[in-house]
Amino acid sequence: MKDRSLLTAYLAAVVAITLIHDPVWLAALLACALLGAGRAAPAIALRALLAVLLVNLAVSLGHIAMAELSEQSWTLFVLRLNLRVFLLTFLALWLARHLNLVRAVSFSPALTFLVTLVMGQSRSLQRMAQEYRHAFASRTPGRPPLADRYRNAGRTCKALMDKAETRATELNQGLKARGFFDDRV
Amino acid sequence: MHIPDGLLAPQAYLAGYALAAPAWAWAVRRVARGLDESMIPRMAVLTALAFVLTTIMLPLPGGTSGHLVGVGMLALAFGLWPAFLAYSLVLLLQALLFGTGGITALAINALCMGLVGGAVVIGVHRLLAGRHATAAVVIAVWLGVVTSAVLLALVLGLQPRLASDAAGQPLFFPFGPKITLPVLVIPHLIIGLGEGLLTASVLAVFRQRGQQA
Repeated sequence: MKDRSLLTAYLAAVVAITLIHDPVWLAALLACALLGAGRAAPAIALRALLAVLLVNLAVSLGHIAMAELSEQSWTLFVLRLNLRVFLLTFLALWLARHLNLVRAVSFSPALTFLVTLVMGQSRSLQRMAQEYRHAFASRTPGRPPLADRYRNAGRTCKALMDKAETRATELNQGLKARGFFDDRV
Repeated sequence: MHIPDGLLAPQAYLAGYALAAPAWAWAVRRVARGLDESMIPRMAVLTALAFVLTTIMLPLPGGTSGHLVGVGMLALAFGLWPAFLAYSLVLLLQALLFGTGGITALAINALCMGLVGGAVVIGVHRLLAGRHATAAVVIAVWLGVVTSAVLLALVLGLQPRLASDAAGQPLFFPFGPKITLPVLVIPHLIIGLGEGLLTASVLAVFRQRGQQA
């Protein structure tokens, strides 16, 4: 119940933030979010800053340059954009720390089952992709040429697709053997 | 390639959800019809695969790299509707579990990259597959990536028109299509080619294996 309320509150907050255009209100909300996050606030804020830095810097600098050329004011837009995007990213990262997605979707058994499987399978496939990356790095001292990097990316994709196909069959057979689909009918 | 949170006006992202909702409902029906009781485990593994494919670095000339989109590979290997659903789920999980991407832009990202991008890949591949199998995959995936980039650039470029304040200052995103189109599309002309070549090499192995079996 707590996770579902958290998810609902987050979704409502996201929509509300996109309806607020006054930088003062956005700054006040950001201050509340930072205070609400407690001790985790600096770490989340740093991650949020790194996540938005490239896009926000490019958009802000582009807008400042264009506004200066046409002798228009740019401060309001730059403040509004950066506060809103940073606040939304901060909230998303805060939610990611606190939300148990499986519990949040527990109202639907099919969705709970799907999310659980996806999370488990993602971790396992991610580990496999990482092992391929490490193996490639250990085999190639120095900067590998483009063709080698291509071959490695291609082989990783092939291996992942192969593994996914086998996993899907295994999972299905395992669930069938345990009568999972009989219970659901 | 996807649009992050905070750059889209509510008029745009709510319209995106209104368009995506029937597409998701249709995709669930199509996938459920084709996959019987094994639908959930298959979709789960496909979603996990789509998620991990988006983390694979696509090597680009000059020593740089970009993330693989992966929709073309999924659409050609598993079909349009499973690929669209899996990609949408990936965007949802990225937004809720890792705080990346964005929940407001999710529907527009899913429609532009998962549905339209995937449909272009499948359509172009069907048109060209009879002539040259590898070239068909490369061209189809390249066009899919470029079409998605064009659509996302147009959506972003629409924002100043959709939402500005009384003084004419943009509320969400300041640049029109004259800027967003070249900025987004030109890099994706190269990324799309890289992704096309990678997809062709992966699918060629599966095709060979299919012929041997």
